[in-house]
Amino acid sequence: MPETQVIAGTPRTVGAPMLELQNIHTYYGQIQALKGLNMTVNTGEIVALIGGNGAGKTTTLRTISGMMKPRTGTVTYEGQNVTGVPSYTIMSRGMSHVPEGRRIFPQLTVRENLEVGAYTVMDRRLIEQRIQEGFALFPRLKERESQLGGTMSGGEQQMLAIARALMVNPRLLLLDEPSMGLSPLFVEAIFDIVEQLNKERGTTILLVEQNASMALAIADRAYVLQTGEIKLSGPAADIAQDESVRKAYLGDE
Amino acid sequence: MDLQTVGNILLQVLVGGLSLGVLYAIVALGYTMVYGVLQLINFAHSEVFITGGIIAYLVFSGLQGVAMNGYVKLLLAGLAAMAVSGLLNVLIERLAYRPLRGAQRLVPLITAIGVSLVLQDLLRFLVGLRGQFDLSVPLPQGFANPITSVLGINISVLNLQVKDVILIVVAALMLVGLNLLVNHTRLGRAIRAVAHDRQTSGLMGIDANRIISLTFLIGGALGGLGGVMFAMKYQALNAYSGTVPGLKAFTAAVLGGIGNIPGAVLGGLVLGWLETLLGVISLFGSIPGLAWLGAIKAEYKDIGAFLALILILFLKPAGLLGKATTEKV
Repeated sequence: MPETQVIAGTPRTVGAPMLELQNIHTYYGQIQALKGLNMTVNTGEIVALIGGNGAGKTTTLRTISGMMKPRTGTVTYEGQNVTGVPSYTIMSRGMSHVPEGRRIFPQLTVRENLEVGAYTVMDRRLIEQRIQEGFALFPRLKERESQLGGTMSGGEQQMLAIARALMVNPRLLLLDEPSMGLSPLFVEAIFDIVEQLNKERGTTILLVEQNASMALAIADRAYVLQTGEIKLSGPAADIAQDESVRKAYLGDE
Repeated sequence: MDLQTVGNILLQVLVGGLSLGVLYAIVALGYTMVYGVLQLINFAHSEVFITGGIIAYLVFSGLQGVAMNGYVKLLLAGLAAMAVSGLLNVLIERLAYRPLRGAQRLVPLITAIGVSLVLQDLLRFLVGLRGQFDLSVPLPQGFANPITSVLGINISVLNLQVKDVILIVVAALMLVGLNLLVNHTRLGRAIRAVAHDRQTSGLMGIDANRIISLTFLIGGALGGLGGVMFAMKYQALNAYSGTVPGLKAFTAAVLGGIGNIPGAVLGGLVLGWLETLLGVISLFGSIPGLAWLGAIKAEYKDIGAFLALILILFLKPAGLLGKATTEKV
């Protein structure tokens, strides 16, 4: 397992709203995936978005990062209306999205994946510095620097996907199911890093997870999504105690 | 037929096939790069290619008799052809393919064939405005000179002209340059990222439309340069001359593995050699026991190229260098 390293940065302070979704309705063709979603992520928070398969978790992240355009509703990021803004502009806005299924570039080497992640960074020295920071965070990646991304294990690919997203030093990190398909040891390592990023670098995190217990353990607040609607929201500790959540998502009988 | 003669013929095939092969390779790159980013076969590439040949005709005949170094003329023709063909390709993508993004794959494919036909007749019209149909390309002074010896070694048996060497050198420079661009620059990484996963490349801050335009620009410019090479090699062309070599270059791209850049080069070379060999193979019919080779006349060389394609795709469906991609989910 990779050792986790100390991350340099500004310790977090929880503050004003950074991201706000208001009355978001998003469709796949005729099928409505989000039905009037409202949610807020404050600066410095870890917010978990939990729910079952097909609840609309991934759609929510895709709507935020501009991969999908909502039919109605607004996405406000750092005070600016970014509804339907093409996703390629989000990297220059200090937002980074680790997509579902990791989506690393399988035919590019680990280093090239990181360099593509830094596409919007023009300063070569800064790029190199951030690659080294990524390697410090995930020493496993350094060992595999010139290996093709597609030849790595699922856990290593997840590390690469996160390291790639960090190349722009984001203020807001959207994480889509980082635990999917990983062994428990890898899941723990990934969640450790996420928590560390938040605590020590002050990165605000919106975490989508099916693994609700892990997500609620590190989150400040949580939203429970069901068939495109928010069913419940509040402090993560309270959500973890909620009877219906325990039954539906935490495996309690 | 003695051994000496057989050896000489094979040497000529090797060199002649190389200058044809690099021409196919340069044109095949345009097909394969566009396929790489859009999974679209740009059938209009044959017209983008022959547009370069027409530009070469215009520049060479316009400067005929002008006292100017032949290589400067070539440089002017090459730059003009690359610019015009590159921009034409960008325009085609903007007007014909981009509005159909997201449609079923057959739709842009048929559109590509349509664009190809429209351009053929447009080119014929433009050439016709000069009261011409078949264009004969005047070569700059000295380009047709035979090369009879290198470093004191007599190579007159190779039937080599100065222009053949120019073709091979220019193509080699372009291939090296393209390799550097694609594998070692920020733009190249972006092209590969868009080719592999357009949606995720957007999350990296890459404007895929811009990268697609640049890919059409590069592919079209290479096609235009291929047209200049074609004009130099054959010194005769018309508005429809792009079709067959274009189809063969496309074959070369598929042969090597469509979407694969080294594959396009390999496919071009294989096709160039094969075609040149088939063009002369009937000569070997006079060798005792090989009389049946005499029946393979030069006219069969095109069939041979396409038969080779069928055979290779039958044995290796992804092409010579193509890989069946496996991705972990």
